[in-house]
Amino acid sequence: MSAVAQARPLAGFRLHPRPRTTELALLALVAVTLAVGGASLGATQQLREATRTGVELSALDFTPPDAQGLLVYLGALITVHLAFVLAGRRTDQVLFPVAAMLGGIGLLLMQRLPQELVTQSFGSAELGLGQLQLAWLLVALTVITVLALFVRSDAWLRTYKYTWAAVGIGLLLLVFVLGSEVNGARLSLSVGPISGQPSELLKVILVVFLAGYLSENRALLADESTRIGPLSLPPLPYLAPMVAMWAIALGIVVVQRDLGAALLFFAVFLGLLYIATGRPSYVIGGLVLFVAGAFVLYNLFGHVQARVDNWLDPWADPQGAGFQVVQALYAFGRGGILGVGLGAGLPLIGGRLPVPAVHSDYPLAALGEELGLVGLLAILGLYLVLVTRGLRIAAAGHDEFRSLLAAGLALVIGVQAFIIAAGNLKLIPLTGITLPFISYGGSSLLANALVVGLLLALSDRGSEPPPAPRDPRRPFRRFRLGRARA
Amino acid sequence: MTAGPEPPRAPGGREAPIRDVRVRRRRSRAIGANVFRTGIAVACAFSILAVGGGWWQVVEAQRLATSPDNPAVIAIARRSLRGPIVDRNGQWLARSGRDDNGEATREYRDATVSHVVGYASRKYGTAGLERAFNAELLGLAGTDPFGDLTQKFNGPSDRRLGLQLSLDLRLQRAAIKALGTDKGAVIMLDPRTGEILALASTPTYDASAIADPATATKAFERLQADDDRPLLPRSTLGRYVPGSVFKIVTGIAALDSGAVEPSTTFPEQPPAEAKGLVVEGFRIRDGHHPQAGDTALDMTGATEVSCNIWYALAGLRTGGDRLVDEAAKLGFGATLPFELPTAISSVTSGKGNGPGGFSDDAELASASFGQGETFVTPLQMALVASTVANDGVLMKPHVVTALTGEGPGARVVSPEQWRRVMSEDDARALQAAMQEAVEVDLGRGFTPGARVTGVSTAGKSGTAELGGKGEPHSWFIGFAPVENPKVAIAVLVERGGRGGERAAPLAGAMMATYFELYGKP
Repeated sequence: MSAVAQARPLAGFRLHPRPRTTELALLALVAVTLAVGGASLGATQQLREATRTGVELSALDFTPPDAQGLLVYLGALITVHLAFVLAGRRTDQVLFPVAAMLGGIGLLLMQRLPQELVTQSFGSAELGLGQLQLAWLLVALTVITVLALFVRSDAWLRTYKYTWAAVGIGLLLLVFVLGSEVNGARLSLSVGPISGQPSELLKVILVVFLAGYLSENRALLADESTRIGPLSLPPLPYLAPMVAMWAIALGIVVVQRDLGAALLFFAVFLGLLYIATGRPSYVIGGLVLFVAGAFVLYNLFGHVQARVDNWLDPWADPQGAGFQVVQALYAFGRGGILGVGLGAGLPLIGGRLPVPAVHSDYPLAALGEELGLVGLLAILGLYLVLVTRGLRIAAAGHDEFRSLLAAGLALVIGVQAFIIAAGNLKLIPLTGITLPFISYGGSSLLANALVVGLLLALSDRGSEPPPAPRDPRRPFRRFRLGRARA
Repeated sequence: MTAGPEPPRAPGGREAPIRDVRVRRRRSRAIGANVFRTGIAVACAFSILAVGGGWWQVVEAQRLATSPDNPAVIAIARRSLRGPIVDRNGQWLARSGRDDNGEATREYRDATVSHVVGYASRKYGTAGLERAFNAELLGLAGTDPFGDLTQKFNGPSDRRLGLQLSLDLRLQRAAIKALGTDKGAVIMLDPRTGEILALASTPTYDASAIADPATATKAFERLQADDDRPLLPRSTLGRYVPGSVFKIVTGIAALDSGAVEPSTTFPEQPPAEAKGLVVEGFRIRDGHHPQAGDTALDMTGATEVSCNIWYALAGLRTGGDRLVDEAAKLGFGATLPFELPTAISSVTSGKGNGPGGFSDDAELASASFGQGETFVTPLQMALVASTVANDGVLMKPHVVTALTGEGPGARVVSPEQWRRVMSEDDARALQAAMQEAVEVDLGRGFTPGARVTGVSTAGKSGTAELGGKGEPHSWFIGFAPVENPKVAIAVLVERGGRGGERAAPLAGAMMATYFELYGKP
């Protein structure tokens, strides 16, 4: 292994400030948007309360419901920006403001929902939904900053891809054995007061592993074929270890009933396979496998069947199984084109929320109601910008590993946003997966912060060159050389 | 992990190492293009999301936002007064007020209209016209998807609409009274306009008790547990074996398809009267032999004595396909275009492999006189009578004649032709046959009492045998006056006995009441 490939994240860190005007301008836009949103939210809530109690208001107070929290968040954004400027790395300037915008929208939503939806006590202090989300956002911003500033070499990722994969699967197994069960799915692992969903972390690990494996075996995967009679199939032996790794992860996820994560892994796997090989046959074959797998799952598992039936006709049981789906559609319908306004949606019916999992599974329905189709399209557009920036970084990557890693990270965000948005909009059955940066949840925010942080590090045009490409070290190479000589 | 599986047999004839180098160079350039294509795919996926958003938030927004089950609508309904509902003479049927806490209350005048007007309950949602016009009554209708910003905070109560119905409360009360303790349905409508004058079902229920939060739970649970199913609007959602009233449908189909003429006689009919007509091993019998003797009957005669064999032969000659198609023109096979939900009337279960979905000719022959796998709603049979009365033109049935008030969506509902089902000549022939059935001696053996004194009356009774013990369903459909029909009627009495004994006199009394109220021609 060459000296260049040594992992030394802190080496060569010096201060040489470099202005980042695009990022600053975009962050200003984010700050204005969030401030206006907070003000509108505060005024609307006040007006609603006044209408309900019949009090005449002399003047409207435009103070956001949690002005302090919002200020802390905006302050943190500026701090991160200043850190980027001081470090002087030539990293992408759009990724961070877009992620910050999505995180801010999520923060406003969590501040606006009933705070007792999620509470956690730390000693004597009890934090509500909005404060917890803010705390996690701050941790996420820290993760982004650390990765974007200090990761200069990718050797620690590419060299130990099997180790990473083992860690990921070990985590999942740990959940399976020790995890707590919620709604029939074992998803979360609790350590003290903090619980997390390792499948969120696993998606990043999976991308690292796939990027590592595919970049090593790309040429072979792209051009070799296994011939069985007249059929020209992909080179099965080269695919086997990777497919096995994928199948183990997928199997565990299916056993844990985390369908959303399974779908995400599968789609990202196919996407990366296509980018690495350029062979549409892999995608087509994968889709055929998917349809077959979905068919088997549908007929094998009652909960999958219920999900799908409920998706096809939620109105069959609008008060029971179809309740959330139908209520989310009502929310979209109420929103219309312009929306009812931040804070004006989601009337409480008899003290309960019409859409119970609004903060985790259905934030898009709430935002679609309050911001309307216009807001929905804007949010979808933000995700598309994130994906596009990620793919640009991929296209400009120094070598195949970096390209595949960046593309995979971008796809993780894009595909995850698509799956949950499509589920909210009843285009596909709903799967319990979070809306990146917006949904409540520490694991989700941290995993997506990892993604953005790594993308930022990868985008640095001044970073170290990648290590010299290694030849695939596989038994078949020796075999082929021998054969060629013969 | 490094121990790979068995290597593949390399495709022969090519030098692997040389190709390896060439391929690597080509693929490194290609990765950018692959990334680009993936980006395009992601963009396409997101545009599908955008289309999905547009579908729910623009195209479907109005329907979703005003759905009676939408929690926002329910919340508004708690606060807002609903628009009033009145009958054709301005008599109030439903009205709103406020209780001591300022919450909206709803009061219903009369249990006789409960199956039409329905109820609006905080706990049990809405039913009937209260459900069908929930958005209009609450003033939520007509909001454009672009969002009326000024409406966001104010209650929409100023936009609420009222309903004016074509029902006549007096006829409605008379119908419920006439049905008495029997379960059944009475429908009266104006065949020229399709306006429903009476739409009665028994047993009925007290809608005010469901609307009042203090009594709602007890009243609703008792109604739900009741084996007589008082919450079921039998006139629109009940499906019954029609018996001989279905012969009019067969007559319409046979005439309009050209299979028979009014003068058609079947030589095999008179000899079959004694022993029955055998169709594919199934024996069809008649009970009118003492009246008709051995005469070969034409359509009028067959209608007069309600000859099963003539109609079975006419149905067989028409054929299953054409019988089902002609019935579909009358509204069979789909829900009716009506303000209230309707059950689907069907000529056959459609599970057979024969033409039109009949299993064989025996089923077709039985269906032709209403004893096959045929099930109809009383409203559908009223439309059959109305079509004959209106010279073959079927008007769209409706019970709301106007949405009143200032808000958007206020309008007068004009009569609308649904379709011409048959020619005027064919309709006239059936009118004459149905008049004979009521007024001429032979027919009166079957439909005594349907005749309205001083007014020419046409009609057809039906006795729907249900198999096993117990009384048959008693049916009558008809109209009056024959020359210029003003009212068409359908009467069903569950287990009411022979059509001529229970339904026909009830219809006669109802039509008499109509002419007392509206004057004889």
